[in-house]
Amino acid sequence: MRIHLAILRSAACLVPGEQRAEWLAEWSAELWYVRQSGQRQTTGFCLGSFRDAFWLRRNGAPTVQPWLRLETPARCLGFLGLVAAVLLLVALRHPAPGCPLLPIGPPLLFMLGMAAMALPALLATTSLRLGEYAAHRYGWRWVFLAGKIALVHSIVFFGVLDVLSVVGPVIAVCWIPGCVLAFRWALIDQRRRCPECLRLLAYPAPIGRRSRTFLEWYGTEFACPKGHGLLHVPETPAISFRTQRWLHLDRSWSGLFS
Amino acid sequence: MAAELKLSHTAALILRAIHAGDGYGFSVMEMTGLPSGTVYPAMRRLERDGLIRSQWERQSIADAGQRPARKYYKLTRPGQATLEASERRYPLLAKLTAVEVDQS
Repeated sequence: MRIHLAILRSAACLVPGEQRAEWLAEWSAELWYVRQSGQRQTTGFCLGSFRDAFWLRRNGAPTVQPWLRLETPARCLGFLGLVAAVLLLVALRHPAPGCPLLPIGPPLLFMLGMAAMALPALLATTSLRLGEYAAHRYGWRWVFLAGKIALVHSIVFFGVLDVLSVVGPVIAVCWIPGCVLAFRWALIDQRRRCPECLRLLAYPAPIGRRSRTFLEWYGTEFACPKGHGLLHVPETPAISFRTQRWLHLDRSWSGLFS
Repeated sequence: MAAELKLSHTAALILRAIHAGDGYGFSVMEMTGLPSGTVYPAMRRLERDGLIRSQWERQSIADAGQRPARKYYKLTRPGQATLEASERRYPLLAKLTAVEVDQS
């Protein structure tokens, strides 16, 4: 009995927090009935709970707390700027031996060099396509992207410098992979934002069917919480639908989002 | 809208078992012969699509029977319409679960 409850409790870790207690109560009760029925496949029954837990994890509502979601552009840049500033202060107070931050010129050149070295790895691992958007619009999103890249790059640079003074020069190998991961996050985050208000998109909805790829696209549709438009992200890029597309909604749609 | 939903054979079988049986997870497993890893996620999907709804049994009833409380699943109105459409689509469905009921 203990091993079976342990299996259920392990699976419960996968279930989203707000559903976990009820989920465990249901499976524990069902386990009692399985045992009462005298069936021998009790372990098999319990192992099935992992599939159920995985399903809930995949299909449940996102559980990220609102304060952790960098939803608005101001919150995103503010949070990144704060982290970068804290890491810079730590780096100034505890400078790494042989890597003084003042004067500012050499570290800046070093940062640009790191970014240039990370670029080939980024191109090899990440698609740089940001999607199809109307030309000559949404200029602010490029400013936002540039600001985000500058801040995440600073976070990686100062973060590695902070650790460098403690761990030693061996940590320097993390610079380039750190830059690649940071740039990758910046691009992924950019693709999930409304090009008009730069808020994170919401309300994901699956569209279409895999078996009808030739007749219509299938993938996920996201909506801007402020009603500026819809983003269609194809599951598999096709000739007719290579990358994500933004569908602008005019003011006549605003009633749906108010 | 929900009546137009086309279910897979397995999902239709589970819907039929919920309708014909006691309506809790293990009874559905017994009626259909499907493993727990198939039955429970399928029931979550059916509930998400509004074809079934779940309700916990009252604790006093469970206490009287000296057993843990069950979570019962029942068909909603769209669920019944979908089941009828599925039975037309899969004519053997009704017979299949009827045989299972007779055997149990």
